[in-house]
Amino acid sequence: MCDTCGCQLHEHHHHDPKVVEVNQSLLAANVQQAMSNRQHIEKMGAVAINLISSPGSGKTTLLERTIEAMRDTVRIGVIEGDIETERDAERIRAKGVPAVQLTTGGACHLDAPLVHGGLHVLEHFAKGAGYDLIFIENVGNLVCPATFDLGEHIRVVLLSVPEGSDKPAKYPATFKGADLVLLTKVDLLPYFDFSMEEVRKEAGLLKPDLELMALSATSGEGFDAWLSFLDRRLNR
Amino acid sequence: MHELSLAQSLLEQLLELAGKHQAARVTRVVVTLGPFSGIVQDSFAFGFNILKAERPATRDAVLDMETPDPEYICLECNKVALIPFPRQSERLDLARHGLAARKCPWCGSNRLSPQGGTELILNQVEME
Ligand SMILES: Nc1nc2c(ncn2[C@@H]2O[C@H](COP(=O)(O)OP(=O)(O)OP(=O)(O)O)[C@@H](O)[C@H]2O)c(=O)[nH]1
Ligand SMILES: [Mg+2]
Ligand SMILES: [Zn+2]
Ligand SMILES: [Zn+2]
Ligand SMILES: [Zn+2]
Ligand SMILES: [Zn+2]
Repeated sequence: MCDTCGCQLHEHHHHDPKVVEVNQSLLAANVQQAMSNRQHIEKMGAVAINLISSPGSGKTTLLERTIEAMRDTVRIGVIEGDIETERDAERIRAKGVPAVQLTTGGACHLDAPLVHGGLHVLEHFAKGAGYDLIFIENVGNLVCPATFDLGEHIRVVLLSVPEGSDKPAKYPATFKGADLVLLTKVDLLPYFDFSMEEVRKEAGLLKPDLELMALSATSGEGFDAWLSFLDRRLNR
Repeated sequence: MHELSLAQSLLEQLLELAGKHQAARVTRVVVTLGPFSGIVQDSFAFGFNILKAERPATRDAVLDMETPDPEYICLECNKVALIPFPRQSERLDLARHGLAARKCPWCGSNRLSPQGGTELILNQVEME
């Protein structure tokens, strides 16, 4: 046995202290997996969109309406992230589109290794047919998901009218990381003290070129702009 | 919010580094947790100290955490403000005295926009 530390590993270790400068992100493993996810998605010919919002902002409803509008011309696949239950995936499957439910077992966000598994399942569901558009619905949470690249091409942050227009100022990291901010449930504007101007101003301070759109899944208002945004981003 | 899973991935990185450098154990780890990274020092240390005990190679690792002062731009006067980050234990005292809101040191406005500060970095590892 070794006298210095009492360990059993006598032959192959030494006790000279060694200082190693690492300077590597603590999220390095996630970043690497996200890069490989992105390649995987591109090999499938698809564009991937990561949907981030607080619980209940309308992510699944947006997907339901989007699928109804596009399913005849665009091959869509969906990865659903939730802490528990298969409910959201079932809502998507009811629209006739393949959906994988990832449950995080308590974790408050999706990460790239989880999505990697989801992509393989989605690929299996396609039976060789492939996808044009893959939606990843993140766990409802306006904080954690911002930190984790999943390998998406476009990050969309949803903010619904009842949540209030002060959210970009309160959750700057999340809104700063967005490629597009979607204001949802605008049919409710008459009932809430929600200022479009405040969102525009605060979001602009965070990221001057941040794109902003407003829509309602209930009335259909603003949906055309959203659909043509998607259409422009497809690899066709 | 996800301090535990971050501590877990740090420990995996440490085991890999120890293997690469043929070291038997890690004695000290220095990390930077950005002030706007969403990671709370106390929770991160708590998770790290529980999980490190699972492996002999990390059992004695001491965790050093650095959090740089957060930087803001004041939306009223456009000046840069560096405001020390209160420790977890000081926050309640600040709240009790109505001082929880950070204010611009130049003009007193509370309309401060955070700049950067989301980094999570493994800087340095000591091993033997
Ligand atoms: N008025 C109104 N209600 C909406 C709209 N879109 C969604 N909702 C309602 O908002 C509630 C939540 O919608 P979901 O689509 O389940 O929200 P989600 O973001 O997927 O929720 P989680 O997955 O739990 O985070 C449901 O009751 C929807 O019917 C909208 O455009 N207008
Ligand atoms: Mg949902
Ligand atoms: Zn020894
Ligand atoms: Zn999280
Ligand atoms: Zn794979
Ligand atoms: Zn000021």
